[in-house]
Amino acid sequence: MTVARDPRSARRIWLLTLFGTAVWLAAIVLAPWLAGRGASGAARFFYAVFAPVCHQIPDRCFVLNGHPLAVCGRCLGIYVGFAVGLGLYPFVRGFSRISLPPARLFLLLTLPMALDGTAGILGFWRSPIGLRFATGFAWGTILPFYFVTGVADFFRTRRERAAARALESPASKKVE
Amino acid sequence: MDQQKPGYLRPALIAGAVAGLLSGLPFIGIGNCICCLWIVGGAAMAAKLLAAQTPGLLTTGDGAIVGALTGIVAAVVDTIVKIPMQHFNMDLARGIIDKLPDVSTEMPAGLDEILNSSGMLTPGWMLLGLFVSAAIYAIVGVLGGIIGVSLFGKKAIPPASSPPSPAAPPPAAPGPPDAG
Repeated sequence: MTVARDPRSARRIWLLTLFGTAVWLAAIVLAPWLAGRGASGAARFFYAVFAPVCHQIPDRCFVLNGHPLAVCGRCLGIYVGFAVGLGLYPFVRGFSRISLPPARLFLLLTLPMALDGTAGILGFWRSPIGLRFATGFAWGTILPFYFVTGVADFFRTRRERAAARALESPASKKVE
Repeated sequence: MDQQKPGYLRPALIAGAVAGLLSGLPFIGIGNCICCLWIVGGAAMAAKLLAAQTPGLLTTGDGAIVGALTGIVAAVVDTIVKIPMQHFNMDLARGIIDKLPDVSTEMPAGLDEILNSSGMLTPGWMLLGLFVSAAIYAIVGVLGGIIGVSLFGKKAIPPASSPPSPAAPPPAAPGPPDAG
């Protein structure tokens, strides 16, 4: 189903998400860059920021200046995929309607990563870092189509509920 | 659209506690290495619980709110669960390192760094970790909540009444907008 929404608000959310994603990707690269320049304290801070969301096993990370990136190859793929999906968002969905991707497409793009990750954890195979990146990338591309749409809908719903509450308030009833 | 605010807290507390517990446990917590599985899954579960307890239709915005709350609850539970676990892991590592000189004359490279990293257990670092986790889990939870609403939310019922007049404002969002 497609629903009309405020295009300006959706564009603003898209721009903010784009900015946040750029900062996030920069921080991933900043950690090894700082470590390479000898700023180990600052590098440690950036590595610590990403520690809750990634195992950061060095041989599963791409390397910059002889130091691993702050996240593993798969996580990097997800974030780069998210950035690419975000770049495609205005051309694929536009800002004037709320519409989520089909569930089947979501499951299709999730499946390669889920299979690769599960098999890796269970010890069936050890996939190369390029494959990890690719499966993460595929999954990451669809995520902005949920994120931007959902957050834009959240603000629209909040506005509508506030307007409905204002109409139901005693002051407005007195006017009637 | 139902203008009544759904009760977000209960589903977020239940799903967040489960997701945080799974994230904090050793070995099982590895699941978060697959695209924050426990957080995304927990937020999707919260959306499912919300859909079950709400008579009206949910919007993707509702999914975003319940997902964000689930992520924050999960971060708090995760941090609490990890406190005894981190001490246990560090004690184990220290024990192994203490015994190493008996079996080997050379210390493997990087072990000093591991010992020094025990500074990460200080309250300051833990607080920083909690804030970072809460922020990241909330964002990932937003995604999980929206995905959850799109997968488990009730589908909109097409209006049975006559079509709106041209002058009328566009209809408010019914339930989860699905496939585009």
